[in-house]
Amino acid sequence: MSSRMEARMATMSAQVICGGLTFEKTPVELREKVAFNDSQLPEALGRMREMLGLHEAVLVSTCNRVEYFGATARPEVAAAAWPDFLRRFHQVPDDFSLLSFQLGGTSCVEHLFSVASGLKSMVVGETEVLGQLKEAYDLARVNGQTGKWLNRLFQSSFAAAKSVRSGTGITRGSVSVGSVAVELAEKIFGDLHACHAMVIGAGDTSERTARSLLSRGVPSILVANRTYDRAQALAAQLGGEAVHWEGWEDHAIDVDIMISSTSAPHYVLTSEKLEGLLKRRGRRPLFLIDLAVPRDFEPSINLFDDVYLYDIDDLQSIAQAHLCERQLEIVRSVEILKPHVARYMEWAQRQAGVTGADDARTGLTLA
Amino acid sequence: MHDRFWLFLATLGYLASAGWGLYALGSRRPVSNRWTILLIGAAFVLHTLFLHQRGESIRHCPITNLFETLAFLSWSLVLTYLVVGPAYRMSILGAFTAPVVFLINFFALTAPIDSPGTLPPLGWQLELHASLALLGLGVLGVAALAGVAYLIQERQLKRRELTPWFYSLPNVGPLEQVQHRVLVMGFVIFSAGAVLGFFIPHQNTEDWVKIAWSGVVWSLYAALIVGLGRLSHKKTALLSVGGYIFILLTFWGINSLSEAHVFPHGG
Repeated sequence: MSSRMEARMATMSAQVICGGLTFEKTPVELREKVAFNDSQLPEALGRMREMLGLHEAVLVSTCNRVEYFGATARPEVAAAAWPDFLRRFHQVPDDFSLLSFQLGGTSCVEHLFSVASGLKSMVVGETEVLGQLKEAYDLARVNGQTGKWLNRLFQSSFAAAKSVRSGTGITRGSVSVGSVAVELAEKIFGDLHACHAMVIGAGDTSERTARSLLSRGVPSILVANRTYDRAQALAAQLGGEAVHWEGWEDHAIDVDIMISSTSAPHYVLTSEKLEGLLKRRGRRPLFLIDLAVPRDFEPSINLFDDVYLYDIDDLQSIAQAHLCERQLEIVRSVEILKPHVARYMEWAQRQAGVTGADDARTGLTLA
Repeated sequence: MHDRFWLFLATLGYLASAGWGLYALGSRRPVSNRWTILLIGAAFVLHTLFLHQRGESIRHCPITNLFETLAFLSWSLVLTYLVVGPAYRMSILGAFTAPVVFLINFFALTAPIDSPGTLPPLGWQLELHASLALLGLGVLGVAALAGVAYLIQERQLKRRELTPWFYSLPNVGPLEQVQHRVLVMGFVIFSAGAVLGFFIPHQNTEDWVKIAWSGVVWSLYAALIVGLGRLSHKKTALLSVGGYIFILLTFWGINSLSEAHVFPHGG
């Protein structure tokens, strides 16, 4: 038998496998040692495929997981070689064998589809992981590391993730303080490209929230702080403009969103002050985000029409509620994934030409 | 009459659309509004067929009695929704439009207010005056419904209680804009209809009841339009909704009391 034919036979009897390290079992101190940056990935992919004996390979490296996906007729070889590959490539002494997992056949397909749908993310339902999977797959495909098994597997996983996103509320509602604030701002103003924001006090949370707003289109940010130098420093980081503390109220007239996180022991903005401000700024809606403890904005200002006030507790409780709702959607998401998994496995069985009796050997068993 | 059957079918369509729209609003997962629009669109075709057949049979614009007037008013509401909803990406407003249209049609179909008969020539000015005024009221109705959606969103934002409706309903900013634009559009059409009424030659004495009522409605909306730049968005929405409730509640009584607006056969 020619080597070409042997390779072809091996490919036909291959099964899809996956394995690696995830945040669930591996602490960040270890994950960061074996994470691959963009420039390392093409080389790492080739070496990994060779060492693990994979016919096809995709390597996924994100903050929360370092995983491989492959097609092979000898999954046990891949499982044994994976920790060694990590050790050698990153030149670290750690043993990753106990922390690594490996799945094959249906379990592997279920795993990838769940990951792509955000069901196995640290923040359930997050959509960033889908983009990361697409990038990893594209890199492998462009480098000629994928074939029919992984091409079909990844494309099916993208379709499955889309079904979950559109068929459940798994991605609905933001789950961090910053993103909840942005979501609320978008609900109040619609498009944020015409909104102007101001940060009062140069705290970390307000900086993160300001960055979230900028990423969603807010064109300019003013920064006011008791120490002008700090205001300038933060403004420079945000690409905004620093204003003197004494004059922040004058600048607030043109602002639509105000984020405050000063350490002042008293209210920075009282109902009385806001009343004067509202008369000067007209009836445009105003979104006030109070991230300070003790609070910077007097709670009663929420009673003014067209003024929406949220403090840190409000934002956190909304984020928590969203997270709980997402958790509840997991069961429904799994049900949506089942037919996608079954379709892939049926296709894989047809490709492998196996019968039901061979299922146990190939791992191509339906759930 | 045979033509009532089409209105009956249309009303069922609005009921189905209302049901789907409310389900879409309250669902925890994304639900397409396509069915709301399709059902309303199909019902609108049947509704138009009814008005066409009725117009053919009475040889007049079908607004000669309270039944036809209500059917024309609800048709105007749907027409405005079908223009405004897709144009401003506010298809979800169908969830509010369909129930109101269903209720108006249900009342029209069940109340003994349909009394057709032979009518004298009414003149194109009179028909245009009446149909423009009703069309204007329909447009103002959609403005009020956008106001309802705004008030629901505003209340949730103020109370920090984010129900599934919060995610299904449009953003507050675009809702304000749409409400204001539709309000101005409705006011202009209603005003045009009202002004046209002054140029129609009257055989009888002036219908002071209807004129006074129209004056009150016009003044209310004129004040609202003038106040658009000064009133808060919440007050604008409240007045728009309140004004339209006033119109719906008094429409029946005013049309019953009105003399010049009652056609000779006594409808």
